[in-house]
Amino acid sequence: MIDVVFLLLVFFMLASRFGADMHIPMQISGAGTGYSGPPRLVDVRPETLSVNGISVSEDGMITALKGLIDTADDIVIIRPREAASLQRVVTVMGLLGDAGFSRVVLVK
Amino acid sequence: MQFIDPERRTPPESIVPMINVVFLLLIFFLMTAQIAPPEPFPVAPPSAVSDSQADGDLILYVNADGLIAFQDIEGEDTALLTLQHALDRHCKVESCASATPPVLLRADGDVSAETIAALLPKLGSAGFTAVQLITALD
Repeated sequence: MIDVVFLLLVFFMLASRFGADMHIPMQISGAGTGYSGPPRLVDVRPETLSVNGISVSEDGMITALKGLIDTADDIVIIRPREAASLQRVVTVMGLLGDAGFSRVVLVK
Repeated sequence: MQFIDPERRTPPESIVPMINVVFLLLIFFLMTAQIAPPEPFPVAPPSAVSDSQADGDLILYVNADGLIAFQDIEGEDTALLTLQHALDRHCKVESCASATPPVLLRADGDVSAETIAALLPKLGSAGFTAVQLITALD
């Protein structure tokens, strides 16, 4: 019996995935309420960032965007460029989320 | 004078505590673990700080080369078509009027983000209203 129990134990250890996965909700562009206000386009490159075409630092991005929004619900558009990796974009989305921008749309 | 060595016998290891421990472990794994559906290819999700748990059955995989798969079907067009069929089947059983079940997007952190950006509107036009990008904790 101990053999069978060990077998079950090993099976569950191998077959299971631990902890629920975390996720970031993604906005589907074209769904939800419309865009309003001045353009807020963040270009994400592997090393650099730019807001509306002007190169900025990470802190400068937050400052620049804060000047362009009315409420925290305003949409910010992120556009990956030059094969920026998903990790890079997720990092930038994390920065925006920490700064209080709740609606970030990823577009091509 | 002769000393007779007392016969040393190690006491037999009692098996009952071991069974107890193993049962405890077994129950622990049964309770905590969820059986992982087999992945079509290994994927290392991007790391991020997030406190919301992903919940859903429709998992779309994207590997570092941008290859898209759903269940065991690889290739963007066929995978999306199969995903849409899965959504249709789900919507016949439960109402999708207010919200569709979320798509769990399990993408590799090294994939070009433009691939993901191009995928989102396709999921939108397939009828999905919610997409959850799976992330790993640091």
